Amino acid sequence: MSAAAASGSSLAASLPAPLSDILAHPVGHGVIIGGIVMTFFMMVSAWSIWFERRFAGRMQSRVGPNMVGPAGLFQPLADAIKMMRKEMLTPSGADKVLFWMAPPLTLFFTLATLATIPLSEDLLIADLDIGLLWVLAFSGLMLFPTWIAGWSSNNKYALFAAMRAVAQGISYEVPLLLSAIVPVVAVGSFSIADIVRFQGEHGWLLFWPVGPGALGFVIFFVASLAEANRIPFDIPEAESELVAGVTVEYSAMMWGLFPMTEYVHTLIASALASALFLGGWYGPFGWAPGLHWMLGKTLFLFFVIFWARWSLVRFRADQLMRLCWLWLVPLSLLAVCGAALWVAFSGGAA
Amino acid sequence: MIAMIALSLIALCVVSAGLFAVRSTNLVHSVLWLAVSLAGTSALYLMVGASFLSAIQIILYTGGVITLMLFGVMLTDRNETTKIGNPSERKRLGAVSALAVFALIASAVSSMSFTGGGSTIVHTKAIGQALLTEHLLAFEALSILLLAAMLAAIVVARRRDP
Repeated sequence: MSAAAASGSSLAASLPAPLSDILAHPVGHGVIIGGIVMTFFMMVSAWSIWFERRFAGRMQSRVGPNMVGPAGLFQPLADAIKMMRKEMLTPSGADKVLFWMAPPLTLFFTLATLATIPLSEDLLIADLDIGLLWVLAFSGLMLFPTWIAGWSSNNKYALFAAMRAVAQGISYEVPLLLSAIVPVVAVGSFSIADIVRFQGEHGWLLFWPVGPGALGFVIFFVASLAEANRIPFDIPEAESELVAGVTVEYSAMMWGLFPMTEYVHTLIASALASALFLGGWYGPFGWAPGLHWMLGKTLFLFFVIFWARWSLVRFRADQLMRLCWLWLVPLSLLAVCGAALWVAFSGGAA
Repeated sequence: MIAMIALSLIALCVVSAGLFAVRSTNLVHSVLWLAVSLAGTSALYLMVGASFLSAIQIILYTGGVITLMLFGVMLTDRNETTKIGNPSERKRLGAVSALAVFALIASAVSSMSFTGGGSTIVHTKAIGQALLTEHLLAFEALSILLLAAMLAAIVVARRRDP
């Protein structure tokens, strides 16, 4: 790989001999750190489903899952075992190869974005020169499996959902890319780790005096909610109109991969927003940097997403498009111009 | 050696995906094979150290152009309307134009000098600076071309006033 650099030097140095050698090698580094980061994201996503159901129960004056294990904590395990033991059906009119390809692809593209998102100075799989572009490229590819699933099912609801998903995806891609440019302009690098380090020295981008940072953060957060198809942007799987969206014809674990991926995607979007705008692993005023800050911010944003989900209602498709093209796109252009002016007049950070 | 084998395998993928894209009688499969081919091109760029180009290739071509193509074939019914014939009555004309394009590309490639080897890494910052200083005129001309295309599309698609 071109610009991949093993960044876990301090971690590698602190470990005993065989482990530090493996970590110093790019492949060993990728496998070990990648394994840790991926396992972490999958585990948090699984138990966030339990948390969300309990939290939703609280908001709606009911209990939520509380039977399996202490306080219902084993519910995700029980769900997973149940789904794996079910039969996987293929509709007779489906395009079989594409139908079976879609769920694994969606998980693959989502996990691929993890490669360049730093959790801390050490927990970074690869510090690429094009880190942010890598993430945006793979999150753009996320539309493919959704579309393939909807089309290959040969089901009108699934096809409608796929059509809405692609329309929404390519629209919200524009403000997402533009608002992600704001930190790039400010820092002068596409590497997410560089962006975080810059914020460690100059303060979080969210709290910039003039405000393109705050504007960029809000737009980025809203657009990534739309990309992850979370309420209030879950038009592609509006269950009251489209039964279950693109997942109508799927069963068992093939179905299970879709909601699982959605949670992982949402968690990754929270992590990316924390790294780009909220200073990543640095605390406010740069004190006590470490993993705990990054985790705290990521989980807080994740919680805000749940909160929004159970507080807001779903947009109509036309309202969704109006919000994107009439508000988010012009505002994100404004944020980029603001960031460029800020850099030009403050002498340039790059 | 390993890099060479990997490069050849990816190139093989790109070429065969392109072939499938042309030969498939299913419109949707054609578009998806084209996506595989373009993504493979991006992998080739990554293998030779042009990481920025590779990311842009994915974002613009696979993520943008192909998505728009999918939009175009979206309302096709899975069983009937996506079947397309592959008319082969103009084989000679096709062969001539393919050979002409091949000759053009081959002459362009052979007239270039490849120095520096495969290990040079072009930094993204250098590309940006070159675009906005040395090649500024070409950059701006391109953006005006894109703007004109966009305006034309709006004019064509606009609802006529009664």
